[in-house]
Order: sequence, then C-alpha cells, then structure tokens
Amino acid sequence: MNHSVLMALVVLSPFVGFLINGLRYKKHSGNVAGGIATLAIAISFVSSILLVIDLIGMPSETRRIAISFFEWIAVDKLRVNAGFVVDQISAIMILIITGVGTLIHIFSIGYMHHDKGVAKYFAYLNLFIFNMLLLVLGDSLLVMFVGWEGVGLCSYLLIGFWFTDSEKAAAGMKAFITNRVGDAAFLLGMFILFMSFGTLNFHELNALAPTVAEASWMGSVTLGTLMLFIGATGKSAQIPLYVWLPDAMAGPTPVSALIHAATMVTAGVYMIVRLNPLFLAAPNTLMVIAIIGAATAVLAATIGMTQWDIKKVLAYSTVSQLGYMFLACGVGAFGAAMFHLMTHAFFKALMFLGSGSVIHAMHEEQDIRKMGALRKFLPITHITFLLGWLAIIGIPPFAGFFSKDEILAYAFHSPLGSTWLWAAGALGATLTAFYMTRLMALTFWGKSRVPAKTHPHESPVSMTLPLIVLAVLSVIGGWIGIPHVIGEHLGDVPNIWEHWLHPLIREVPNMTHMDPSTEWALMGTSVGLASISAFIAYNFYVTSLDLPKKFAESIKPIYNVIYNKYFVDEAYFAGVINPLVNVSKNLWFYFDVNFIDKCTYVIADLIKGMGNLSRSLQTGNLQQYAMYIGIGIVVVLSFVITR
Amino acid sequence: MNISIITDITLAHYLILAAVLFVIGMAGVLLRRNVIVLLMSIELMLNSVNLTFIAFSKYLGLLDGHIMVFFVMTIAAAEAAVGLALAVSIFKRFKEVNIRFFEHLKG
Amino acid sequence: MTADSFLFWFLAIVTVTSGLSVILMNNPIYSALSLAMTMVGISALFITLNAFFIAGVQLIVYAGAVMVLFTMVLMLFDLKHEMQAFVKGKFTGFIKVASVGLLAGLLVGAILMSVGLFTEKTTDNPVTFGTGMEATKALGRILYTKYLLGFEALGVLLLVIAIGAVALSRSKGGTHEH
Repeated sequence: MNHSVLMALVVLSPFVGFLINGLRYKKHSGNVAGGIATLAIAISFVSSILLVIDLIGMPSETRRIAISFFEWIAVDKLRVNAGFVVDQISAIMILIITGVGTLIHIFSIGYMHHDKGVAKYFAYLNLFIFNMLLLVLGDSLLVMFVGWEGVGLCSYLLIGFWFTDSEKAAAGMKAFITNRVGDAAFLLGMFILFMSFGTLNFHELNALAPTVAEASWMGSVTLGTLMLFIGATGKSAQIPLYVWLPDAMAGPTPVSALIHAATMVTAGVYMIVRLNPLFLAAPNTLMVIAIIGAATAVLAATIGMTQWDIKKVLAYSTVSQLGYMFLACGVGAFGAAMFHLMTHAFFKALMFLGSGSVIHAMHEEQDIRKMGALRKFLPITHITFLLGWLAIIGIPPFAGFFSKDEILAYAFHSPLGSTWLWAAGALGATLTAFYMTRLMALTFWGKSRVPAKTHPHESPVSMTLPLIVLAVLSVIGGWIGIPHVIGEHLGDVPNIWEHWLHPLIREVPNMTHMDPSTEWALMGTSVGLASISAFIAYNFYVTSLDLPKKFAESIKPIYNVIYNKYFVDEAYFAGVINPLVNVSKNLWFYFDVNFIDKCTYVIADLIKGMGNLSRSLQTGNLQQYAMYIGIGIVVVLSFVITR
Repeated sequence: MNISIITDITLAHYLILAAVLFVIGMAGVLLRRNVIVLLMSIELMLNSVNLTFIAFSKYLGLLDGHIMVFFVMTIAAAEAAVGLALAVSIFKRFKEVNIRFFEHLKG
Repeated sequence: MTADSFLFWFLAIVTVTSGLSVILMNNPIYSALSLAMTMVGISALFITLNAFFIAGVQLIVYAGAVMVLFTMVLMLFDLKHEMQAFVKGKFTGFIKVASVGLLAGLLVGAILMSVGLFTEKTTDNPVTFGTGMEATKALGRILYTKYLLGFEALGVLLLVIAIGAVALSRSKGGTHEH
C-alpha cells in the first residue's frame, strides 16, 4: 500500500476513534466503546507494522519514510510542514505506542467495564494515542510540540478522569501545571534553536549540528538543548519537576500503564535521542542530563522503598527508570536509552496492568499492607507480575537485564561517564531490586492480610490476555539487543538493536572499545547486587516480618524524611507556590481591585454621568428638540454675523 | 427719525416683516401644546418664507423665486395633510391632541 | 405716504396681529381663523410685489384648501374639555422665549446690516418679466421647462402623501397595545 495512505491510517485512525467515541460520550456500553477504540488502535498498529516492514526492506543508508501532507506554517524563514517521518527511532516508538496501546485498550475493556463514563474514557485514550503518534512521527520540533501539548492535555483529562473526587482533580491540575513549566522551557529551546539554525526540522537540525563540541555554557546549542531538556524533565518526570507523576496515579490504572509508564513519560527521552547529534555537540548539557538522571534514579528509588500504595511504588519506580534513561542519554548511550525505553515500556506496562488486576480483584484497594498471599487467588497475574519483576531487577536473560546493563556499561567507560555515575546507577539498581521484591512479597507472597469481607478473584480474559502478551515481551524483549560479549558465546548472536539504530546515532567522540573482562565484571556486579538486595528484601518481608519495622526504627529520622518523599512537595509549596499565590493575591487586591478596577469604575462613572447629562437632553419632548434647533440656528447665525 | 423709512418701502421691509412672522411661527411651535396649533404655526413659518422668496424675486427680477413658492406650497400642503392625519391618530388613541403624547415616540 | 407704502404698512400690521393671535388664542378655532386672516394678508402682500398668480394660488390653496382642512379636523375632534394652551416649565419656557427673541433680533439685525447692498443696487430694479398675464405666462413656461423634473417629483410626492394620509387616519392609532 501507498506509504502516505498507511501513514494517514496510522495517525488518523485513533483520531477517528476519538471522534466516534467522543460523539457518543453518554453511552454506557463498555464493550461497544472499547471495541471501537481498540479497533481504531489495532488498525493503527497493523498499519505501523506494514510501514515498518517496508522500512526494513529499504537499504540501511536511506532507511527513512518521510511524508509531508501539506505546508502548515510558512512565515518568512519559518517553514513547517505537516510532515511525518518513520525512521529507525520512530518506528520503534510507533510499534510500542500502538502495540502496547492496543493491549492496554483490551485491558481497559475489562477494567473500566462498570464505569459510567466509559465512552468518554476510550475517547480520551484514543485522543492520547493520536497525539502521541503526532509527537513521535512529527518531522519537526513544532509538530512534535503539538503532540507534546496534546498528550499533556490527555494526561490531564485522564488523571482527573474521576473528577468528582477533588483530590484526583487536583492531581490532574498538578500534572498539567508542572508540565506547563517544562513546556515553556521547551518553547524557549525551540526559539533558541530556530534562531541559531533557522530550521526546526529534525533531519536538518541533526545535519546542521556542529561536529565540534561546544565548551561554553552560554553557547546557543548548549542553551537550546538545556532548555529542551528542562522541557523533558517536565514531561518525563525528572528532578525537579517529577512531583506530578506519583500523584498522577489518581487516574485509572490502564492510564497509568499507558501514559505514565510506557509512552508519554518517555517522550523526553525520545526527543533527546532524536536530536542526539545536537546534544552530543553540547557536553555541558549532557553532563547535566547525566547527573539529573542519576540523581532521579536514586532519589525516586529510595522513596519507592517506603511507599505503601501499590501504584505509588510503581510510579516512583517509573521515575527511577526514566532517570536511568536520562543517565544513558547523558553518557551518550542513546541506543541504550531507546533500548531501555522499550523494555521498560513492556515490563512497566505489564506491572501496572498487573497492579490494575490486583486492584480490580481487591475491590479498589491499593494499600499493599492489606494484601499478601494473593498468588493463590490471582495465579495468572502472579506469574506475569513475577516475570515483570525479574525483568525490572535485571536478572538475565530477562529484558531489563540487557538494557540496564548496557546503560551501566556506558556510564562506566564512556568518555562522558564516570565511576560515580556508574555507582549511582548501580545503587539505583540495587534499590530497585529491593523495593520491587518488597512489592512482590507484600502483594503476592507471605501471609494473607486481606480483610475477611474481600474475596479476591482472578480477572477476566480481556485483562489477563494483555498481561500474558506483555509478560512474554518482557522476557524476550531484550534478546534483540544482546551485547557482543554474551552474543559470541551463544554462537554469534548479533546485536540487532545496535545495527538497526546505528545510522541515526552519532558515536560519542573518543569512545574506546571496552575490555570484555570489565564488561563481564560490571554485569556480575550489578546482577550480584540486585540478587543480594532482592534476597534481603525477601527476608525482610516474607521470612521475618518484624525486621523492617525495627530497621526503620533504628534510622527513624532518615526513614521519616524518605517516607515523606524528602518533603519536596512541601518545599515547593513553601518556596514557590505559596509565595506566588501570596504575591498574586496581593497583586489582585492592591493592584487589580484597588487600582485598575477603581480606575475603570471612575471612568465608568464619569461616562455614566456624562451620559445622564446628555440623556436629560433626550426627553422625547418634540418641542424641546425644536428648541435645540432654534438655539442651534441662533448660535450659527450669530457666528456668521459677527465674523 | 428719517421719514423715508416709512415712505419708501424697500426689500428690507418685506424681509423684516417675513422675519417677524417666522419668529412668531417659531414661538408657536415651541410654546403651544395643541398639535393642530403647532401645525398652524408651521404653516405660518412656511408662509413667511414664501414672502421672502417673492420679495427677492421682485427685487432681483427673477421668476425662479415664484417656482420655489410653488414647491413650498405643495410641500406645506402635503405636510399639513400628514400632520393632520397623525393628529387624528393621536386623537383616536388618547382622545386629546396634546403634544406630550408624542413623547411616546421616544425609544 | 404713498398708496404703496400705506398698503404695505396696513398689511404688515394685519399679518403680524393675526399671526400673533394664531399663537396666542386659547381656542384652536380662533387660531385657525387668525391663520386664515394671515394667509389673506400675505396673499395681498404678494399682489403688492406684482406676484398676481402666486397670490391667487395662495388664496386658493392656503386660505381655501388647507385652512378648510384644519377647521374640519378641529370640528371633527370637537375638543370640549379645557387643555392647557401653553407648555409648562418656567425654565424651558424662558429659554424658548429667549431663543425666539434672540433669533428675531439676529434676523432683523442681519437684514439691516446686509440690506444696504440691496437698497443701493436693486431698490429700483425694474421688473423684467412684465406684469399681469405676461408674468404668468413666463412662470408657466419655466415651470414646465426648467423645473419640469421637480414639478413631476412633487406630483409623485403628493400621491404618496395622499395615500399615506389615508393609511394613517385609517390606522387604529399607534403600534402599542391599548
């Protein structure tokens, strides 16, 4: 089929689905609405697969399907087409988005079955997919920005989906406003790049990117990329703008899986990978990205260790894993970042959907202290969750191992990395293993703490099927990127991933080949640390349940700080939000009400008075009007005579 | 006092007479309350204008002033017809022809 | 004092007096009669100005038709109860009288100031279009040649007015509900 037709199908079929479900938003039948929405995404998925097959058939140097539907903006030098491009990077993204999206839609049919606004829900979900596809397929920063804003809007709508609960509505607003901060920086970044390069097209920008690294902090490339990165911290929940993501768990669980784990939050990583030649030209920016990424990975992991809400744990885990991806970008491992993005999309979506299945089974109970031993009631969920757990903590040969290991290897030996960054990454991995094991233990293993009146039951097929598919992907997803050191022992298994992305990823300057023994040592270290950590957690939460409490008591001050999420929210309130609110209030009261309003009142009164005055002339009394004519004649005549 | 002002009748005499009649008519328009009297006052004003036209016509030796008088007369007759029709309407409604009922015309 | 000047002064006094009584009489019938008197006086003034045809038309149209119309309407109304003849309000009344007085003063002043020009040049201007029938002939000629368009337009206007007057007097009086 024609490429532009396929491209239009990919992008527009979710939009059509949105329109259909949006127009019948009052309907309550979850099966019909879900069927329409799933079909729309499935069409998009199939078209994506056809496109990617065509892409694979192309020679690797010219592997690129670029289609421009029309010229969107043409102002002076600024020429922006409604252009979409499928290349090695966006191909992966559209497969993840539509593939995982389809599974999550299927899951949603079961999960949202009883909800009243189910048609509205699916309409939003389709709109989200549409915007996400715009974001990843757009051939310029501006088209991407449209999708970028669109997914922000959908995220807001879906987080606040149960908006009658004011806390959930507030969570939606928090996400939206926090994202706005990042988006403003993103816009600034676009301005700077357009000023210095005169284009917003990715292809042209990457071609124009200087090959010599920019040393100055104030250079246009450094500033522009830094601004783009701040935009990414908003969308991808990094320090300092990560605070919205844990609250975003107020939305329906499939939404958390789709938007806040698999797709939208990875947009920042995707954007950086897309512009990797540009970012490589700004080593200062990369340093910032690496430090922020590593810090986020560790910080979020520590918070995750103390949370009791199953979705909050997963949310902090997501923040932490996103930190990994940024760490990878920061040390120049763009391919590894994409790789981790993909594997993370599989196993985190799986775990979120698994948690959704658990929550569904527990009748909307999210507190893991009230769970335990669920493996008996939810066998399928348990098995799939278990595979996800193995993947995330990085046990070979599960998907997470390969991607995480590649990131850590790069962090260790890349010219842009350092031992400290590797250490932070390894610490993050250790902590991840701990809190994930804790989650597994408290939810599925150990003794049951389920309240007597709840009777957990396994979820319907529509919910378990996506779990199974995602679990399989979590297991085998990493096999397309097996590092050489392992590959050569398995009979020359090639690193497909690296070959695939190679044309679009610029090499880090002065990159040396790593010693195989070092690589083996690093792998061993991280797997070993993760295993030990997981074992400790198992001991803590299954074997000797009173230990965690004692341990928490012994480091009470630190525990309290972490338990309260480092008081970041409170600090933001005290340092930014409340002063802003106060200043605004004062401005409102002293400037707006007492100055501007008064001015307008005075002017209005003046005009009213004048109006009243002239109204008294308009009595409707004809003779008075005649008198005015008379007076007029007198005045004119006297003027004429005395002239 | 120069006697010639009385004996020699010039254009000025006619003009002043016309002006006086005009002002009388105007006073009527401004001060009377009966719509019919108001219309009469307007007729008076128009007549004074006619007088001016004829006076000028004679003293300039042109006939065009006469034509103007024709036109003014026609207009005056038409205006009287419409004005009286309006007065009849007002009377039908209020059983009175006071000018203040025209105040209902205001918006 | 010549006959001409006597006639002028006599007619001037008659017209001004009757004109004043138009606006001063309480009874509209008296006003109407005074107006008829004024019309006749003005018609006579036209004769002194050698406008014989116009004088005739003035008598027929004004003193005849229009005044009959007025009188008929007054009779039709048959106003029995007393109506305040003049408008109320001392202040506006004062302004009105003052403006009327000012206007009178201004007009007379203007005429006196500018009439010097006329007295010098045109006082004894011989009437070029002759007298009697010749003048009427000439009038008819220019009415149907030079001013034909205006004349025809006036005919249309009169037709419109006739229809409008009929429509108005047949209406129930106003668009408001009673």
